[in-house]
Amino acid sequence: MTAPEDVDLDRVWTNVAAEVWRRRPGRLERAAAMVLKSPGLARALLTTPSLLLPWLIGSTLILAIGALAQVGANQPLVGLIAPAVAGVGIAYAYGPGVDPAWELACSCAVSDRLVLLTRAVAVFAVNAMLGLAASAATLDTRAETGTAQLTFGWLLPMTAVCALTLAVSVAFRSAVVGAGAGVAAWLIVVLARGTFNGVPGTPDTGAHLAAAITDPNLYLPYLAVAACCAAVVYYATRPQRGSQ
Amino acid sequence: MNIELSDITRRFGRNVAVDGVSLDVGAGVLGLLGPNGAGKTSLLRMLATILPPSSGQLTLLGRDPRQPADRREIRRRLGYLPQNLGYYPSFTVVEFVEYFALLKEMPPHLVPKAVAAAVEKVDLGPRAKAKLRTLSGGMLRRVGIAQAIVNEPELLLFDEPTAGLDPEQRVAFRTLIRDLGQTATVVVSTHLVEDVGAACSEVALMSNGKVVFRGTPEELTARGEAGQGVGDAPLERGYSAILSAARSAS
Repeated sequence: MTAPEDVDLDRVWTNVAAEVWRRRPGRLERAAAMVLKSPGLARALLTTPSLLLPWLIGSTLILAIGALAQVGANQPLVGLIAPAVAGVGIAYAYGPGVDPAWELACSCAVSDRLVLLTRAVAVFAVNAMLGLAASAATLDTRAETGTAQLTFGWLLPMTAVCALTLAVSVAFRSAVVGAGAGVAAWLIVVLARGTFNGVPGTPDTGAHLAAAITDPNLYLPYLAVAACCAAVVYYATRPQRGSQ
Repeated sequence: MNIELSDITRRFGRNVAVDGVSLDVGAGVLGLLGPNGAGKTSLLRMLATILPPSSGQLTLLGRDPRQPADRREIRRRLGYLPQNLGYYPSFTVVEFVEYFALLKEMPPHLVPKAVAAAVEKVDLGPRAKAKLRTLSGGMLRRVGIAQAIVNEPELLLFDEPTAGLDPEQRVAFRTLIRDLGQTATVVVSTHLVEDVGAACSEVALMSNGKVVFRGTPEELTARGEAGQGVGDAPLERGYSAILSAARSAS
């Protein structure tokens, strides 16, 4: 049996192949496409290196360990590690050196700046939720005060650390450098505050470290750092005109 | 003209990668030849709107890529295959091509057919559902070509497209770009002069960031016959004659 002469078999086959090969987006991707109003941006979001399953499992495990372990009575360990975990995640949401198809993506209509912003916001939100869950799990109902501060207090430092890692990543075009800078800055802040407030290793260590996270005097500096870093990211991701 | 370059320069610190290049290119296939470090890839990256020029005027598809709205429109109508194609090992061929169709903002309802057509054009139909990590270098190159052509671009930029392809695939690729060049502007950067001879309607030869020759493959061949070029094929002799002349002039 032969096909009629006016039938374009190539076209027929392409239509069949399109149906057979068609990929049905998952619920998450469909929801992201609706929210972002862009199927391309939704797909780019789901290919974020630090939103992939191995990374999420790793972050969850680290925060779970932070929830189980305790430093003194005020249990600030989750608050201590959450900003660092989120900061590293944000740095690895950035493209060059991490996303293999970044150069190709930069030649596409969906803005690379928008992809970066969407990925950063998503990684931050996921890490904030994981951290809050871990923090809530450590709540000591016998504690008299400060539980809310301990649960939410680290969100502001986390914002500052994430902004710093993103700014350094885009400025140096390296996720490793960005992650290193963020973690190092956070360590310096924690160690400095812990040292100023008490003697490490004593029973009060937990309280002193908790103060390092939740000290209201640091809120403004954290916000200032986050704002400056956001400006750096905006500047570093602008379309370049001069020589590099 | 789909590409209009006027005195385009690109510097990296003190190094001048592209030095005052002016070119007007319409529909057809332009072969970009030149030795390593001649500035071909930098020029191609500027045409792909990834790298902005340090100075000079660049107009693509009648638009100014410095303007965000124009740049977005250019990118919708652009296909680009970089020299080093990065890919996601866990993606299948179809997923990868579809990903870039979506990033190029193709209407979603057109994507499945466009992906199928692009995958068929590069003869990867039997491996459409294969993970990229299982493919050979030549097959990955063809995946890269498929993502470049999926949106039926008006401006196509290929950087070393035939690297890793076997002779049969190279012949098929030349046929493909000749077809594409009927309606679109295709720029092919390559080291392989035989690709240029077989597929390109025009040739531009770069040396030290400058375009030192522009003409047809036949004109390039004639330069070899008239000059002091070395090489096994007439085109190679033309290539080396022009390069020698450019080097002695500089």
